[in-house]
Amino acid sequence: MPANSASRQLSASFRDPSGFLFSRNGILYRQINHAYSEDYARLMDSGLYEKLVKANLLIPHVETDQAPAESDAGFKVIQPELAPFISYPYEWSFSQLKDAALATLSIHKRALKMGMSLKDASAYNIQFVRGKAMLIDTLSFEVYKEGEPWTAYKQFCQHFLAPLALMAYRDVRLSQLLRVYIDGVPLDLASELLPFKTKLNFGLLTHIHIHAGSQKRYSDKVVEPRKGSMSQQAMIGLIESLEGTVKKLTWTPAGTEWGAYYDATNYTDSAFEHKKQLVREWAVEKKPSLVWDLGGNTGVFSREAATSGAFTVSFDIDPAAVEQNYQVVKKNKEQNLLPLVLDLTNPSPAIGWDHAERDSFGQRGPADMALALAVIHHLAISNNVPLPQLAQFFAARTKWLVIEFVPKSDSQVKRLLSSRKDIFPTYTREGFEAAFLEQFILHKAEHVNDSERVLYLLESR
Amino acid sequence: MHFSPLPYLDPGSGSLIIQIVIAALLGIGVAVRASWGSIKKLFGFKPKADDDDTDGDAS
Repeated sequence: MPANSASRQLSASFRDPSGFLFSRNGILYRQINHAYSEDYARLMDSGLYEKLVKANLLIPHVETDQAPAESDAGFKVIQPELAPFISYPYEWSFSQLKDAALATLSIHKRALKMGMSLKDASAYNIQFVRGKAMLIDTLSFEVYKEGEPWTAYKQFCQHFLAPLALMAYRDVRLSQLLRVYIDGVPLDLASELLPFKTKLNFGLLTHIHIHAGSQKRYSDKVVEPRKGSMSQQAMIGLIESLEGTVKKLTWTPAGTEWGAYYDATNYTDSAFEHKKQLVREWAVEKKPSLVWDLGGNTGVFSREAATSGAFTVSFDIDPAAVEQNYQVVKKNKEQNLLPLVLDLTNPSPAIGWDHAERDSFGQRGPADMALALAVIHHLAISNNVPLPQLAQFFAARTKWLVIEFVPKSDSQVKRLLSSRKDIFPTYTREGFEAAFLEQFILHKAEHVNDSERVLYLLESR
Repeated sequence: MHFSPLPYLDPGSGSLIIQIVIAALLGIGVAVRASWGSIKKLFGFKPKADDDDTDGDAS
């Protein structure tokens, strides 16, 4: 095959001269450059690759005989296993970011034992695959030379330690700083935002506060440490200190927006069970491979969809609900469910160089099936989105839509309208159907038992 | 001297210096622990299994 036939280099991986990702005929490959051949050989021959893959810490790959996309630099082309859905650290709950941090350190430690080192510690190199935080960048390893410091130390502190400390000690919503700062939270900012008591924590004192001070002090100086300036023992001490510091950071959801939502609704058990049954039946019938549950709360209905075998992403605006959902994934070792934090009224944008390093929420679609359960009143009434625009939004993002219409007579809608003027004359079942059937074909409409709500199965036109 | 080869990420001057200082300090702890382990072993205590060698999940 000619080297450049229909191959497209992916813009997220331009920084590393070791190689890059490209897609050819719809398949994702990674080119390894000659410059990286020695490190790659060590990774594969030392047994480190096998060990990490077995421990679910590194994405498996196969070597292919594909021609390199850039043949001059190319040494080999590998085909990594695909992550079913790419997510970003600003979409993770506290424990997801923490597990990603611990996976990164564990990989580095294991690499050191086999004469290699992790040369970068980017949170974007970690993805959740089969329920586990896994390194997806096979080219992140280099041969370790004793005496050299960890080049990724600063990056680890910015991508993981600073946001985790801010979430644990200040406010969990500060994870959103990662959406602004693509290379992690600047340490001087973290140091300024963290409460004083974090200076009494040895790990945070050194790795964030003093680290930030040192960055400022040496910001315009060139430093060339002596050879052998950091023994392997010192390196292990550093990694264990980071590990201990991360492990001690905790956050428990309390006073959550939705924590008691299911208890406070006017749902009867029978309505709840009926809704679960319909979601399960329709998912099994339509066999989607990717389901997005938009407004998934703690994932009750996502799990019904996932029983069809679909990989299900359960999005919710509330970090506490996502945290609880993730804890269930871990406890039950669920492999096809990914909880993520997302504000549907302001979804993740495309960020980075040329808006092309991290995809927007929309770019990562469309899904085969989307669930929009008990969410339309929040979008149409709380956020004032007209129904035709809502229909367009969903039609662009999914083939099948399972959507629940919640009428004005429902107590949840009454609550939303109690403190504001009702400027929504078209928010009726008829108005809903008129708007949505412009974009979708009606397959099913079922009254949910013991409620005034209707569940629709729609197919985009 | 330069690290060989130069890393493609800038490790940052201030980050490098503080890392070396902190790590030197923490390295002493590792060394003490290692020698303490061999002293204990001398007296017949079994060394604790390193959890990083167990293959399983890291979380």
